[in-house]
Amino acid sequence: MEKIYRDCIESMRETKLMYNQMKLEKIGYIDNDDHGMIPLPHKEGFPKLESSPDGLAYGPRDIGKNWKLWLTEYHPTYINPNSALAGAWFGTVPGLGGWRKEDRPYHLKELHEKYNFVQTGIGAMNHMCPDMRIGLDLGFKGILDKVRRFRYLNNPVNTDFYDGEEDVVLGMLAFIERHAKAAKEMSLTETDPFKKSNLEKIAEVNQNLLKEPPKTLREAVQFLCWFQTFSRMYFTSGAMGQLDELLRPYYEKDIKEGIITDDEVVWYIASLLVNDTHYSQIGGPHPADGHDLSSRMSYLILEATHALRIPCHIALRLHDNYNHDLFHKAVTYLFEDGTGVNYSCSGGLDKGYMKNSAPLGLARMRAKVGCNWTALPGIEYCLQDVSRVCLVKPLLLALDDMIADSSCENSMEELWDRYCGHLAVSVKVMKDGMDWHMAHHGRNTPEMVINLFCHGPIERGLDAVDGGVDIYNLNCDGVGLATAADSFGAIEQRVVNEKRISWEKLYEVLKNDYEGNENIRLMMKNIPRYGSGGSLSDKWADKISDKYTHLMKDTPTDNGYQMIPGLFSHGIIGQLGQNLGATPNGRKAGEPISHSADPDPGFMKDGGSAPTAKSNAVARVQPGYGNSAPLQIDFDTELAMSIGGIEAIENLLLTHNKQGGTLVNINVVSKEKILEAHKDPSKYPDLVVRVTGFSAFFASLSPKYRQQIVDRILSK
Amino acid sequence: MGTIFNIQRFSIHDGPGIRTTVFLKGCNNRCLWCHNPESLIIKPQIQTYLNKCIGCGQCFEVCPEGCHVLFIDDETKETKRMFKREKCTGCGKCADSCFANALVLCGEEMSAQKVMEEVLMDKPYYEQSGGGVTFSGGEPLLQLAFLKELLTISRENGIHTAVQTALNMDFSRVVEVAPYVDLFMCDFKIFDRDLHKKYIGNDGEKIRENLKRLPELKEYGCEYVVRTPVIGGVNDTEEEIKNIADFPEEFVHPAYYELMPYHNMGLSKLETLGVEGEDIGEAALFTTPSEEKMNTLKEISNIIKK
Repeated sequence: MEKIYRDCIESMRETKLMYNQMKLEKIGYIDNDDHGMIPLPHKEGFPKLESSPDGLAYGPRDIGKNWKLWLTEYHPTYINPNSALAGAWFGTVPGLGGWRKEDRPYHLKELHEKYNFVQTGIGAMNHMCPDMRIGLDLGFKGILDKVRRFRYLNNPVNTDFYDGEEDVVLGMLAFIERHAKAAKEMSLTETDPFKKSNLEKIAEVNQNLLKEPPKTLREAVQFLCWFQTFSRMYFTSGAMGQLDELLRPYYEKDIKEGIITDDEVVWYIASLLVNDTHYSQIGGPHPADGHDLSSRMSYLILEATHALRIPCHIALRLHDNYNHDLFHKAVTYLFEDGTGVNYSCSGGLDKGYMKNSAPLGLARMRAKVGCNWTALPGIEYCLQDVSRVCLVKPLLLALDDMIADSSCENSMEELWDRYCGHLAVSVKVMKDGMDWHMAHHGRNTPEMVINLFCHGPIERGLDAVDGGVDIYNLNCDGVGLATAADSFGAIEQRVVNEKRISWEKLYEVLKNDYEGNENIRLMMKNIPRYGSGGSLSDKWADKISDKYTHLMKDTPTDNGYQMIPGLFSHGIIGQLGQNLGATPNGRKAGEPISHSADPDPGFMKDGGSAPTAKSNAVARVQPGYGNSAPLQIDFDTELAMSIGGIEAIENLLLTHNKQGGTLVNINVVSKEKILEAHKDPSKYPDLVVRVTGFSAFFASLSPKYRQQIVDRILSK
Repeated sequence: MGTIFNIQRFSIHDGPGIRTTVFLKGCNNRCLWCHNPESLIIKPQIQTYLNKCIGCGQCFEVCPEGCHVLFIDDETKETKRMFKREKCTGCGKCADSCFANALVLCGEEMSAQKVMEEVLMDKPYYEQSGGGVTFSGGEPLLQLAFLKELLTISRENGIHTAVQTALNMDFSRVVEVAPYVDLFMCDFKIFDRDLHKKYIGNDGEKIRENLKRLPELKEYGCEYVVRTPVIGGVNDTEEEIKNIADFPEEFVHPAYYELMPYHNMGLSKLETLGVEGEDIGEAALFTTPSEEKMNTLKEISNIIKK
């Protein structure tokens, strides 16, 4: 790579690490995505909105007002002369109140607590995918014209929606204009010739974007960069789309005209990836005939992630016609960098999504654009990754009920029946919450930014949640499968089959959190566990996943919304575990429950976690309707050093895809390094780890969160 | 039925592709550096990990031979536990009741069908990667009938098969399983007879004779490779490696010849088998050859093989 671009990328990387350190000092640990937020102050004195009694903004009109004011006068400009792109976000728009008090679901609170709901999905934002082609084709000015045109055509009585959207776009334009001016001003005093010319170019690109849609690749990337910045400011949205395909036409045109080089393009993309950690996909099946979508652009995106070595959220899609060369490169970089892209699997996603009455072409379009999730760009409201059913709490409730009921005999059948009963209530509570969300969301926190990049909301004058798009599939993820399955397995083996402990004694021991009964705890823990293959726990995992899937899919919500189940915990296993007593798998009260669909660390008889066994287990329990149950694998760097290591991982990934897997997240790190970094994170400020579907700087995570990752890696 | 002591899935160093390695217990060599010392005798053995003991006392109750005893340490006056290994019959009752995994039974009698159930779980990975199953040890050819059964089931299921052997037996054993084997991975550890006697417990004559006969396996469609573990202080000399690599003409054209550096993982396992302190003997002195040394030796072997 040309030295100038390499230096610019390295400088951006160092700046990123510096800001990260500042965030640690100012904000503390962040157990979440490493967003591109810049921890610098903004102008104080943002006025409270006077139209609302509590001074907060609800609904499109008031939110639009706040947004416009924030971007026009308060949010600082940000330009790094080493970046090809202008802009960054310093904080979310102030004064947005979430939901009005009278709309909040207080009536569900008791049941949410009973069933250990930590994320209900109610009031959640953004977890859908924009179609950025809409924006790239129209430009910001074109979007403004579109809003005004459809306001005229639809002639609504209540103009709040269009008022709000118009203000949102006007705010965006004002913000871009401020940056164009700032770049021009900076260029006047810049003495370094490259930086001076870069600043002038930034000013020119942004001036162009005020008037027209992007014409060059640099303008297109700057456009996407603005989208990242704006959508992040608005309740931290993070989905983007099929990045390589979005940019390919601009790349091909500019290369043909001889106005860019590949090195320069890598710098553009690196600048975009530093700006924010939005989720995008590269490669994947063409909707019409399934040929692979990868292009030279896909390679350059991959090169940018490799050059940066910071948390980036690019997924490579595996499917029947995947590009092996690109895949091999991605795995090789994973070994070199310790982290990299994750691997979205059409094997389970496409066929699964078709089971929701979707044609294959539509299923192929569903891109990996979130932590663990996929969505149809611009046409689907899917509320991914924000609602979870705890699969463990129903078991504890079932045990309570069965032991307390003297009229029944304790048995696995009785326990399972009662478990299913509680799980059914839990799922119904989730569905009721979804109906509540759909009924109240639009008037409180409408999807003001994503609406602009969807097919329908502007045309119809309807928020995405209220009928603005055509397809509604609401996700809900089950969490804690291994904890529940191993608990059932342990009871069946130790209580029923071996009769080593009575139901009553086990119940008493659980209520006392195994206090003074360490041997019983270990006895319950040391059974053939979920993941080992063919064990009782494996059988229970199948049953639980199957039951959960049926409960989600067999009936829609009362208001008729279709649900799509997944199995994914994000990182809330600690929070969920804190609310739970001891479980029959030897887990003590308050400890985290298990991740997503993954077997617990050290699930094999010898205390290991054979990747093939894990992959088999996760592939088998997939709910199978196109939402994910990811496979998380952590490899020691020793494997990377050994002959055949890369090929082995490639073949593992390809087999998981063929077996119906949906997503694979991988870390490659040495035990020694992760232990040292856990002890003193400041020693490795640039160590990036794949936490679940998202990546983060290890040093940014709280000790509890870090421990989860350390446990996984040490169990090999 | 046969006795195995481990089934290792996602094994990538025991033949091509992703494999499952099945370790059969029992060996007729006594390599002092053995990295699987728990494999030497065929009888199941208790391995102890006493740092995991939670003092539940179950082992004292269930052991029919009274192997687990408490005693007062003369010096510290503390109550300590002792495992009288010499009385142990390997029944495994103590391990079965030890949920802390402080006592683990190494070696399990299993049917070939049961072993293969686990092996077949990863069949899709073998197919994708060109991998399969590897039977290792110990010396797998000592449990000939069992091995043949395992190989037959593997063949029936279309799985690539490899057998790792030190060839210290009558060659007829090798020939008997050859129709079911795709790849033999044969050890040639030491050339010098005296050294062989000293470190492996026999003069290696049978092994050398068998190595000469390896080309006969081609008749059965088998490939074979030859491997030498390089142990610092034993065979890490240019002379040894030159002699091994320069072995008579009959020993020609293995699919590849490989030098593998010694690692000392066997030492910690010795402790679990009750071999501690002075009893470890020379095994404590072996070293892992440096990367530089390995490269030099590899170069020598490559020149000769060319």
